[in-house]
Amino acid sequence: MRFLLFMVCVPLAAQISGNRLQATLEYLRPDPFGRIVAADGGSDGFLNTVKLEGARGGHVSFHLVVKVSRPGPYTLTLQPDPSPSGPQVQLFREWFHLTESKQYFPDALIPVQQPYHSAMPEPDNRIEKQTSQAFWVDFWIPADTEPKKYHTRAVLQAGDETSELAIELSVLRAVVPKDDVLLMDHNSYGTSWLADDYPELSRKLGDRFFRSDELFRLIHSYHRIFYEHRGIFHQLGYGHAGKVGPEFAPALEGSGRTRHIANWELYDRHYGPLFDGSAFAGTQRGARPIPFVYLPVTPEWPASFVNWGEPGYETEFVNVVSEMEHHFREKGWTGTRFELFFNHKKRYMGFPWDGDEVRFPSDNRYFLEYGRLMKKAVPADSPVKFVFRADTSWDMEQQFKDLAGVVNMWVASRDILSWLPKAPAMLRARGDVIWFYSGPPAVTEPAATITQFPLEGWIRGVGGFVHWLTVSAGNDPWFHFDGGGTTLVYSGERFGISGPIPSVRLKIQRNAVEELTLLASFAGESLKEEYLKTEAARSYNHTTPPQWWNQRPAFADQPTYEWSGAALGEATRPAMRHLEHIDPDAWARVRQYVMRLAAEGDGQK
Amino acid sequence: MKGLLLALALVAPLAAAERDMARELDDVARIATVMVDGDACRRIVTPRALEYMFKNDPKDPWVAGDNYEVNDEAFIAVKKTLLRLSHLASFPCDVNLWMPIAGHPDKVRVVIRNRNELSQFWPWGALYQDMIPAMKQVLETGQRLKVTEKPGWVSVLAPVYDSLGDIVGLVEAVTQEPVDPQGNVK
Repeated sequence: MRFLLFMVCVPLAAQISGNRLQATLEYLRPDPFGRIVAADGGSDGFLNTVKLEGARGGHVSFHLVVKVSRPGPYTLTLQPDPSPSGPQVQLFREWFHLTESKQYFPDALIPVQQPYHSAMPEPDNRIEKQTSQAFWVDFWIPADTEPKKYHTRAVLQAGDETSELAIELSVLRAVVPKDDVLLMDHNSYGTSWLADDYPELSRKLGDRFFRSDELFRLIHSYHRIFYEHRGIFHQLGYGHAGKVGPEFAPALEGSGRTRHIANWELYDRHYGPLFDGSAFAGTQRGARPIPFVYLPVTPEWPASFVNWGEPGYETEFVNVVSEMEHHFREKGWTGTRFELFFNHKKRYMGFPWDGDEVRFPSDNRYFLEYGRLMKKAVPADSPVKFVFRADTSWDMEQQFKDLAGVVNMWVASRDILSWLPKAPAMLRARGDVIWFYSGPPAVTEPAATITQFPLEGWIRGVGGFVHWLTVSAGNDPWFHFDGGGTTLVYSGERFGISGPIPSVRLKIQRNAVEELTLLASFAGESLKEEYLKTEAARSYNHTTPPQWWNQRPAFADQPTYEWSGAALGEATRPAMRHLEHIDPDAWARVRQYVMRLAAEGDGQK
Repeated sequence: MKGLLLALALVAPLAAAERDMARELDDVARIATVMVDGDACRRIVTPRALEYMFKNDPKDPWVAGDNYEVNDEAFIAVKKTLLRLSHLASFPCDVNLWMPIAGHPDKVRVVIRNRNELSQFWPWGALYQDMIPAMKQVLETGQRLKVTEKPGWVSVLAPVYDSLGDIVGLVEAVTQEPVDPQGNVK
């Protein structure tokens, strides 16, 4: 059996010069002073020779670290393998965010051109006594890459000294499937944050900003960055009292019988390139329509709530949704699932029922009514795919039963789903979509923490995961960082980039999804999926798949409105306990297992 | 001098527009006092939700919101009235319902918000908040009041009565100039 390591660590025997060019695994984030951040394990882990391996159709990454003995200018260059169709390399400078606890963590990744000329300390990052600058190196291995070893050299020039780091990348024959083992979704709300995150652009355009081509280019660039990182992007376009942003819905006119769509202009500029896939032209993954999108439907749109329960409400709803179906069909927008999704909660005083996370079962009757209206509005044989989505927590178990055949897309609370192990298979068997949700881990947690979501989803048999908010980096992510628990990308405007830039966490998540997708593709006669899940769980955190589930608590038999949040926390603790502290090497072990299987496959061919 | 005249020429129509809007909102609020059913308003938020509203549990930080519930029949009836009232204005406007909280004279809560998601007073997400002095005045005196504290915002507050003639709450007829189409879309 071939036993291949992802990266071979060769400790430095001696330092020839004061300047060093080193590397760390992607899960070991360097700090600006020549160490590994404490959350990722402290000081060990620097390498002076890098040996990587990866599958085709995927990425391989690591941190490249420039260390200099004295302040001053330096130049960094990557000299790629001369093979004409080998892996493509991209270099990013890592921004060191100063958190409110006065610690530095690298996260935002700034694309840089080579050779990269700068100085230590990095002028814009403004870190006193900085001695070390980290770079993220991304290798993209196209699916048609010849399987063999490729050699890249990193070269550091500082003062009179030159330092080098050899990078060997073994490309395996295995190919990461195009379709992910589960969809990683990145959620957001509205567009007002774009004006805040791109102040120069919004100032320049003034009142025109929210109708401008630049706005839609920006929106598309967010879809693109998540797509390029093996994920998707959702943007909710309405508020809890039913206000709909004009860029999220066609313009309406009239009321009652005369209510109709008057203008598609903004909607089509926003969504057309996303529904026909042209917004993704030129990406590594190729142009494809977005798989899911929120419809702009609320209890107040397209029918006015003033008519709720009256014939006028039904007429307004059915007529306008029918027009939408017709428009989508005419445009050929049949590759996207259009989600009827209610996000409102009664605690925000817009409507008298919870659309999101129903706690009071009597609210389910509103879902039944909207299901009826949708059936009336959309022809049964329409090629346009409408789905009725419910984000579910308290009343999940009952909703799965009571709303069967009405709601067919479920985004489930991670906690409550944890005691319903039969639910994902049951829902899939009846054709429903089942995802679960949580949020990004902060940068202060071990870098590998983010890998738990795709693994948990795969082990539990769900088809997707939603990070509930992924574009809100706080007022000053650069020098007063809140930890990034609501963002996985950053505005690139301060670096002259009119779009988002990725993060270390997003890259680690992407790589994990690719590797998990590859692992899942090995399932078959000789390797059962359950065996692969067992091995992955064991490698990850020394657990078994059953330990990723909880016992159904006794209080689950009581009415949901009698449950307490505290009891809920207690009930879900056993499974969550295994995921509270992910050790820095957790995913490295899974990756090693995946690569071993891939390499064994190579050996068999 | 020329600059001053120019500034006055620019500001004068704006001020006039604000006056017109305030006048229309005052009409809306005056009619609301007649049309909004204070008895129905009293029935909207359940006693259970009010009981939980001030609960504080470090192990359950969302206990108040998670237990917020309303009687939907009363909610819908009053909301429809508020929506119709907002149609009286010739510009985008909301008519929100606010109510005091028994046993908490220093607090007030919004009970119904509407389609433009406008309010000069509601900090997004609050179940209740400190009593607004202008609201306290309306609740105590029954007089309508115009509030323009936030630049660009005009609210007119007016009392809501029940069948006993008691003031049980108030409406906020509110607009913002210019309207922010992206605001509160979240």
